[in-house]
Amino acid sequence: MALEQNFKEYSVAEFFKKNKQMLGFSGKTRSLTTIIHEYVTNSLDACEEHNILPNIRVELDEVGDSKYKVVVADNGPGLPLSLIGKALGQMLAGTKFHRHVQQRGQQGIGAAGCTMYAVLTTGKPVHVITGYKNKMVSCDISIDFKTNKPKIENVVESDSDFHGIIIEAEFGDVKFDKGQYGALEYIRRSAIANPHLSISLKTPDGNLVSFTRTVDKLPRKPKEIPPHPLGIKSHDMLEIAHSSRMPKLSQCLTTDLSRFSADKVKQLKDMLPDIDFSIPPKQLTWSQAEELVKAFKRLKWIAPRTDILSPIGKEQITKSLSAILNPEVLSVAERPPKVLHGGIPYQVEAAVAYGGGIKSKGEIMRFANRAPLLFDTAACAITQVAKAIDWKRYNLNGLDNDPLVVLVNVSSTYVPYTGAGKQAISAEEGLVDEIKNAIQEAARGVKNHIRQKKKASEIEKKRKAFLRYVEQLSTDLSYLANEDASVIKTGIQKIIDEKFGGGLNA
Amino acid sequence: MPEKDSKGNEGNKGYNNATEGDKDAYEKLTNMGKRMVGEIKEGMSPTFITAIRSRSNIFVDEKKGFLKLGDKRETRRFLNLSQAKTFMQTIAVANKTKQFIEQGLHTSIRGLYYQLKFTLGEDLDENMFEEQTESNALIEDLEASLAIKREDLHLTTDRKGVLAGPIKIVDRFGGDEITIDGQKQGRSGWMIPSDVDNGMEIESVDANYVLVVEKDALWQRLNEDKFWKKEKAIIITPKGQSSRGTRRLLRKLADLGLPIYCFMDADAWGWYIYWTIKTGSMNLAYLGQDFTVPEARFVGVTMSDIKTYDFLQKLTIKAKDVDIKRANDMMNYPWIKKHEEWVRELKLVLKTKKKLEQDALQGPRLTFVGEYLREKIGNGDVLP
Repeated sequence: MALEQNFKEYSVAEFFKKNKQMLGFSGKTRSLTTIIHEYVTNSLDACEEHNILPNIRVELDEVGDSKYKVVVADNGPGLPLSLIGKALGQMLAGTKFHRHVQQRGQQGIGAAGCTMYAVLTTGKPVHVITGYKNKMVSCDISIDFKTNKPKIENVVESDSDFHGIIIEAEFGDVKFDKGQYGALEYIRRSAIANPHLSISLKTPDGNLVSFTRTVDKLPRKPKEIPPHPLGIKSHDMLEIAHSSRMPKLSQCLTTDLSRFSADKVKQLKDMLPDIDFSIPPKQLTWSQAEELVKAFKRLKWIAPRTDILSPIGKEQITKSLSAILNPEVLSVAERPPKVLHGGIPYQVEAAVAYGGGIKSKGEIMRFANRAPLLFDTAACAITQVAKAIDWKRYNLNGLDNDPLVVLVNVSSTYVPYTGAGKQAISAEEGLVDEIKNAIQEAARGVKNHIRQKKKASEIEKKRKAFLRYVEQLSTDLSYLANEDASVIKTGIQKIIDEKFGGGLNA
Repeated sequence: MPEKDSKGNEGNKGYNNATEGDKDAYEKLTNMGKRMVGEIKEGMSPTFITAIRSRSNIFVDEKKGFLKLGDKRETRRFLNLSQAKTFMQTIAVANKTKQFIEQGLHTSIRGLYYQLKFTLGEDLDENMFEEQTESNALIEDLEASLAIKREDLHLTTDRKGVLAGPIKIVDRFGGDEITIDGQKQGRSGWMIPSDVDNGMEIESVDANYVLVVEKDALWQRLNEDKFWKKEKAIIITPKGQSSRGTRRLLRKLADLGLPIYCFMDADAWGWYIYWTIKTGSMNLAYLGQDFTVPEARFVGVTMSDIKTYDFLQKLTIKAKDVDIKRANDMMNYPWIKKHEEWVRELKLVLKTKKKLEQDALQGPRLTFVGEYLREKIGNGDVLP
């Protein structure tokens, strides 16, 4: 009895309250970027699922020391009152959990995590206005940390044809930053990776930055397919079995997993005589799940479908990068889909943009399923690969020396991150090669242009090298030969111009 | 005659006293300029042609026995990126020396370097020359290209040689004309100027031969003994390696039919000084015949002298590595190898690993130096 009393039970919300850095709430700038990220990705996913071209408006106001008011409004489908609490006030309750489809967020903690952070740092609830199917609801939401239950207060309902969500909340311990880790950069990169998105940001100093969509078509919807046997781990197997609607384990396997035939079940039975495949899947134990996953690896499987992914697209990247960066030259590469570890489909896209409006040196823009990755730069496979590329082969002087943007987007049903912060892609075998192939393919597209440009500048440099001595040579030669200096000078200039095609700046 | 003043010209009255050498150099410089302007007028890059001075273009004149440049020529174009600056610099040097001739003024190659170093104008963030070695090389290019001597371009070199003996030289300098008598130069002798061609003339010589003495100390010894009077010889010390003026004077004296005897140490340095007088050196092969005296003979000291003069046995010193290496190298030079006497002498050096200094001859008594020379020259006991 005494033991039970001392053994305190933690709710999920309480756990994350103590470990908020796992949700990206570490550091003032990063915390604000995380908040924007969670709301914007939610809005994008919701709009796309309901075939709505997304318009998102973000407003930031400084309301105190390290305290900001954040407004995020979208034109998505909105939420019914019955789901508001789950979506914004309960951890791990979102629609994304247990879904095997390519989506931006993959844990469903996001918006509720923001609610938690707001309550934690200001003591104030999050104010939500949402229009869903001609009903408009306005309410305040907070979280009961002990029970992980949403608290909804001040509910006002009315009729309206408005659809979408407007979230207004105050956050403490955050900071707006215009640098590479800040909210503005996050929004800029979101616009680049989502050419169908129109998004605006009102910064705390009152400026309005807007990015208008360059593509009027929604991206292809990613298809949802059951996970592939080679793409899951023991705990995944356990979750799949426990949430299965099938009466028997054998049926759970053939229905809830991809590429699983009755014949495969038979082979498994031979391999694992101790497991009863007729038990209800809910009775599967951890050790059985472990044995199953181990056995999967010893069988031969047809690779998973790869046509279910939704990359940004070559044309789309070209349009958004041209509009936002206005580079002198741009090349985009879209690699064919590949399979990671035999079971996880993924696809890599890359773009290399040079010169023109690009002023920064060697900016690497990383995306996973179109969501910008701003943090943990050095730990990310994309950064590591981009830095290891021999840029000289493409007539460039290297990332640190050229006005260059390298964009990489990895699309997958299961992006392998290095940590819970989901800001760096792990350097998995195969994936690293694909990232490299993609960047190199894109780099090849700018190679010729840059060579010609450099050649032209070389010629100009040579021409100038000769011209710098013309004055001196003409004067000296004029005295030496007792001839008119201006005649000599004109003559030499003519010879130089003839050699270099009349001169570029002539 | 110059048609107009050049840049920075201090007047061309100096040219009124121009020598033949001045006029020749002046004309060659002008013609080179005219040829280049002609090329420009025809729409071509101006070119500068000079002999290649690298080892691959150095040959021995078998008949006369001196080092000279072969026929390999190098054409430099202004419209060649790697040559543009050098070309411009070459013309700057040419123009500057032309001005020196017009002005009748002389300077050293360092003086020329300073005259040109900062002339490139403020628009250009570089100097005409960063190092003197750059302008030095261009002077040699001009000498080789136009077949003239730098002295003709009014560039002086360091004076080092000293002379005494029965010779009279007319020196026209600074508007004056004086006659130098080699027998009236007292203890210090007459210092040989850097240019013995322009404004200098040998009026008369009453000597049997010329003796070149490596070390100043030995020359002073002989001068004190009035060796030149007793022997009717012109004694010259180059004080080590010969200056251009000394070598040029030796050539002129040889042209008058005087035998040239060289009195050096029997070691690497002594041999080098001798062979530079006789055949020239790799570095200065472009100067050719005018600066070499193939007729010169080596009177001593030699290792073979030890046989004749017993006392020298005790006065040898251990040869250094550089002496051994030099002896080995010399045996491989075709123009040395062909002389049996030299091969024998060098083999003796290699065998005994000893060397001998000319100073050692003062061992028995100070005046022995003169006796030794008289005896050896009298007997024709010399190396070729």
